[in-house]
Amino acid sequence: MNAPLRIFPKQKRGRGVAAGWYGIARTATIDRAGAWAELDDGGTAKIITGVTEIGEGILTVLAQIVADELGIRPKDVTIGDNDTARSPEAAHAGATRQTYMIGNAVALACREARQRLVKELAQKWQVSEDDIICSNGIIRTLDHSQSMTMSEAVQYCKNRGVVPVGSGSFTANHTGLDPENGSGNPWQAYVYGAQVAEVEVDTETGEVQVLGVWASHDVGRAVNPQGVEGQIEGGVVMAVGQTLMEDYKQEEGYPTSMNLAKYILPTSLDVPQVNSVIIEDPDPLSPLGVKGIGEPSMIPTAPAIINAIYDAVGVRIHSLPATPEKVLAALREKRERADTHEMLA
Amino acid sequence: MASFDIQMTVNGRPVKQSVSPHLRLLDFLREELHWTGSKEGCGAGECGSCSVFVDGVLMKSCLMPVAKAQHSEIETIEGLEEQGKLNVLQQAFQKTGASQCGYCIPGMMMAATAALRANPYAGREEIKERLGGNICRCTGYQKMFEATELARDVMNGKLTIELLKEEKEEGPFIGSNSFRIDTSSKVTGALKYAGDMVMPQMLHMQVLRSPYPHAEILELDTSEAEAMAGVEAVVTHRDVQGIDGFGVFTDDQPVLARGKVRYVGDAIAAVAAEDVLTAKEALKKIKVRYRELVAITKTEDAIKTGAVIIHDDVPDNIVMHIPIRKGNVDKGMAEADFVIEETYYTQPVEHAYLEPEAGLAYLDADGTLVIQSPSQNITHHRQKLAKILDMPVNRVRMIMSPVGGGFGGKEDMHYQGILALAVLKSRRPVRYVFTREESIIASAKRHPFSIKYQLGLNREGLIQASKIHMLADAGAYNCSTEGVMRKAAILAAGPYAIENLMVDAIGVYTNNTPSGAMRSFGAMQSQFATECHLDLCAEKLEMDPVELRRKNFFKEGDETHTRQELGSVSMLEVFNSALDLADWETGISNSRGATRSDLAQSGNRPPCTLGARQFPLETIPTGQAA
Repeated sequence: MNAPLRIFPKQKRGRGVAAGWYGIARTATIDRAGAWAELDDGGTAKIITGVTEIGEGILTVLAQIVADELGIRPKDVTIGDNDTARSPEAAHAGATRQTYMIGNAVALACREARQRLVKELAQKWQVSEDDIICSNGIIRTLDHSQSMTMSEAVQYCKNRGVVPVGSGSFTANHTGLDPENGSGNPWQAYVYGAQVAEVEVDTETGEVQVLGVWASHDVGRAVNPQGVEGQIEGGVVMAVGQTLMEDYKQEEGYPTSMNLAKYILPTSLDVPQVNSVIIEDPDPLSPLGVKGIGEPSMIPTAPAIINAIYDAVGVRIHSLPATPEKVLAALREKRERADTHEMLA
Repeated sequence: MASFDIQMTVNGRPVKQSVSPHLRLLDFLREELHWTGSKEGCGAGECGSCSVFVDGVLMKSCLMPVAKAQHSEIETIEGLEEQGKLNVLQQAFQKTGASQCGYCIPGMMMAATAALRANPYAGREEIKERLGGNICRCTGYQKMFEATELARDVMNGKLTIELLKEEKEEGPFIGSNSFRIDTSSKVTGALKYAGDMVMPQMLHMQVLRSPYPHAEILELDTSEAEAMAGVEAVVTHRDVQGIDGFGVFTDDQPVLARGKVRYVGDAIAAVAAEDVLTAKEALKKIKVRYRELVAITKTEDAIKTGAVIIHDDVPDNIVMHIPIRKGNVDKGMAEADFVIEETYYTQPVEHAYLEPEAGLAYLDADGTLVIQSPSQNITHHRQKLAKILDMPVNRVRMIMSPVGGGFGGKEDMHYQGILALAVLKSRRPVRYVFTREESIIASAKRHPFSIKYQLGLNREGLIQASKIHMLADAGAYNCSTEGVMRKAAILAAGPYAIENLMVDAIGVYTNNTPSGAMRSFGAMQSQFATECHLDLCAEKLEMDPVELRRKNFFKEGDETHTRQELGSVSMLEVFNSALDLADWETGISNSRGATRSDLAQSGNRPPCTLGARQFPLETIPTGQAA
């Protein structure tokens, strides 16, 4: 279903590419997070850590991590809310640190709780702790000779006077920067990303449409690939907004774009199709190998779009946002330069 | 105001109540009936978070006076479930992971429902058009389109309902698309955000904000406001018992203005009253006498000698300067075959989380101060508040309520301190819900940067030296400027091996709206310049920009710009995979013209909003199911 071909199409298409990198968790300082875990009645698990969903999917990510660490299902996991009087410090929800810092802290807490439980079962079954595995709500010996449900195992521990609890503290040992030359180890885990953008530029109106973005990001290990994609799609679209339309304006200190009628955000009609590929280069310095995606997802988008505009119409926009007015002015300037060149020639 | 009787049906149940005529339908649903699923995101019909059905028609309930809904049938998000179970569309949102923060979801669900009711065979383009009146800031919309299409096909019997089930019942679960454990609370409207919470005896707070970018406060008289019936507390900086000041890096922002305001929107005083209207009336009775000061609104003016000082303890207006030095830049530039320069600029950007700031604060029975708010950093906020209020740290309890989008904008503690003062003074629960306008002027923005870029390269395209000078507008308070400068500087030169480097990131105070943390935190700005500049260099060198990058990428064992030895580096693999995914055609930019073969593939969407529509809607008329 293509548009009829015009002899001199006013719309021109082009493609651009950009790369980017990012550091995971707090910058140039020691980062840390704590968590508590309990294998609970019914073979469920209770996790207490200072974290609440900000929309990125962290609660689901933690539930999946807990499920694999304890051999239960995500739906068996209850996560306590972020409350400074009720839960250990997990610190802030930002810096692309939730999956990395809190995910690893929760995994460590689960390992301790699991170890407490496994120790009791190992004694009962007269096997080494290493010969016990937990999966899908069943705890059993490697040779399948002994098994019980996780629910029964928790009850067995409690009958012996043991509550299978654990705690975890995870740290990322970053160092500060030298004040003179900036040297230092600001992060222990780095991620890389690259995106291709395809645009269509209307040479009469200056309007730019981003039609497609092809994004590739290293996330260490994707706990929930759909969630990773969601972060990439959301990050790309936020960057499309900054690249083409969003602008918080002030005149001599007085704001002039104070509502959503004046401050223009991308709607469903402005967004490109985002096509993602996830690369997994696990972090060797942490228990899970996970890294992160929240912030790095939007780093390459703006320059990829700006480079695509150049590919399409041969003008470089150096200042964001690339509004129709700016694109038109650049096209006019380019035409005038060409005319002068022609006249001189 | 005289009240009147209203009758309507809400989610199938009859409602009859006496209401005040100033209420909008949204207020009536939320505040009177406590159906808080419908959200207020903008109060102006722009975002669609408040969408409901009125007699079967999709309406923005923030634009409708309640009287207009007399004798109407109203359907809200809470009415979508069927026999206590998620309906097909709700399950489809769950299946595709289409909800993130969830705040726009009630409105989006109603819009998607309306789309499929209007045309059960709506195609992607029509679905997009019909969701076009609803803003989502988290998802990028794509999974919402997919969810709506999935629901459409299941409802039409084209796909089986089995497809809506979770993909995995057995472990391992890492690496699988487990359902988001918060989805059902979001697609049903059940989740309570801070602005949805109520408590017995709760007061409502409003805040008086500065109308000037820079002014001295000569007089602040709250006596008339305090004397008003219904006003339970008026608070100013005089109510701060401890050491005033908060900020992510330095405590340069007082809870309420102390003798001076530094930007339009700076908080000066607050009123807690029995209802919002009384609180607003009381704000008008607060007398403030200002002496306007010269406002600095441009970064280059802030650093001029003799410039007006915005914070007394920072006489040069420089919040933070992060330098990075490596090798010998002058030598590197001198030896380069090409030295290419350009200046780049990025604008201030609003986070525009759909949930405006809100908080509910109260005293626990034992006197512990509790603040529930969508704070992105309760650990830090607790420490700051204990210091400001002169209370033991364990007597301050911060609870992070579900966050309706943050993106860094909810890391600043810019209203929790005011709520605390109002609770301690009134000894009653106090709630404060921002309007969209208040959220936009009062909260921090993404730092605008101007970036002078100079890159020296040899003929083969290897980078010899890089010199990057960044000047950023911190606005009136530090917020996260120190960290943003650090991240901008460390990452500025990009994932490229460079021997000679000189980077400076300087953030300066002005009287503009403060700049703070925002997703990608300085790195978005600095790498925007780098990646645009590399393409400019490729043009000058008549090279393929892809090749230029590949030649310079970091490899395992390389030293970063801060001289850290890198372990495994996935950059080249990531880069190649993006190009492969896009079927990228190699070549020099803007030279291939119409011969470029990789354009207009299936990974694109059609350009639907450019001028006159070029593509007819892909719809199948009702009754002609495929």
